[in-house]
Amino acid sequence: MKTNLKRQLLLSLLLACSAPAFAEEHEHHHHQHESLLSTPSTDSVFNITDSWTAADGRTFQLSNLGGKPTVVAMVYTSCQYVCPLTVQNIKRIERSLSAAQAGKVNFALFSFDPQRDTPAKLTEFAKLHSITSPSWVLAQGSEGAVRKLAVTLGIKYKKVQSGDYEHDATISILDSNGVVKFQADAMNKNIDGAADALKALLH
Amino acid sequence: MVRVEDMVLVPEGSFTPFFLKRDGTNSSSVPTTSVQAFWLDATPVTNHKLQTFVHKHPDWHKANIKKIFSDSHYLEHWQNQQGTANTADLDKPVVNVSWFAAAAYCEAQDKRLPSTDEWEYTLTDNDRNKENLQKQIMAWYSVPNKELPAVRSKPANGFGIFDMAGLIWEWTADFNSYMAPPDSRNSGDKNLFCGSGSLNASNLGDYAAFMRYSYRESLKGNFTGKNLGFRCAKDAK
Repeated sequence: MKTNLKRQLLLSLLLACSAPAFAEEHEHHHHQHESLLSTPSTDSVFNITDSWTAADGRTFQLSNLGGKPTVVAMVYTSCQYVCPLTVQNIKRIERSLSAAQAGKVNFALFSFDPQRDTPAKLTEFAKLHSITSPSWVLAQGSEGAVRKLAVTLGIKYKKVQSGDYEHDATISILDSNGVVKFQADAMNKNIDGAADALKALLH
Repeated sequence: MVRVEDMVLVPEGSFTPFFLKRDGTNSSSVPTTSVQAFWLDATPVTNHKLQTFVHKHPDWHKANIKKIFSDSHYLEHWQNQQGTANTADLDKPVVNVSWFAAAAYCEAQDKRLPSTDEWEYTLTDNDRNKENLQKQIMAWYSVPNKELPAVRSKPANGFGIFDMAGLIWEWTADFNSYMAPPDSRNSGDKNLFCGSGSLNASNLGDYAAFMRYSYRESLKGNFTGKNLGFRCAKDAK
């Protein structure tokens, strides 16, 4: 019994502690060019149909991000350190693009915090971080929508008693069909990998 | 919509969740977590019930399942040509289901998956017969079922809930949580779990809980497992 237990335990440890499986295992997917309203490919996050509310009050679904590659992160506005740094690093990715390229990309921040991050709060946060480009969207969703998106992107999080969130800081890059093509630690100042992955989608 | 006879109202209460701290101490110093009253399915969802769901929602048929929602082993034990459950398995808990499929099933019943706190609280059974429960859990963890029995094969716990231990592992809504103590301030600190290294294995309760939490920690939403199923919950309101 003991050996068996130890083996299981070791296995769980290995599984749990291995670095998040950032999408290095690119499979070959052959995507047909589809119009925005057609059925997304079966490995696309656009298959999730929850509604989100943007900072300007308009509601949208993930599939509305289709047609352009999207840089995605999950943050919350009361977050003191990790989230501002995430935003900074996404802006560095944006700055690595030419103006023409940057206009062909969406930048989307989804809030972990449905209670506090109202559209007004998101607008304030955008202002604080000098986010003015129409390419950016900040969004509030239901608790269920947040959980589903986080599970899909492989992001772990937990609300703690103070109302704050323990969470992974991950930047994901989706292609124009909503398929995750690249993920990186959002705390990493070296954004070259993300920038290259994004540029490869702009050809 | 809820067929109340299949669900049990679990009364509010509290339990001590399992947290592993960096210094290797166990959870004895961690405050208890309260859980509001909630409805919980008396048994795990069976093959029969999932088949009824798949019938109404063909998107979740094994022939149609979208890649983003499951790995390739989705319902692989449904081996007949129509991709439906074997008659002999109808009353057994459904396994080989991803978190997405489990969540979609519960939503279709106007229910939801239980939170990890709700699930763990239900398992503790308010510490009735604690020692016996822990022995039962450890015995099962070390020798998993060769073949799954039907649900309700063993007596219910004190809440009136069946099969919390000894049958299958179960998805929770927030399986992708951190094992973080409630007062933790360090966002994204993975060392809470992985850096700790030592575990006080003399406490069987902690040991079993550690295995459950680390198992959940190892999952991804599209994973399926031969011993991984689910049941649904609903707010008491």
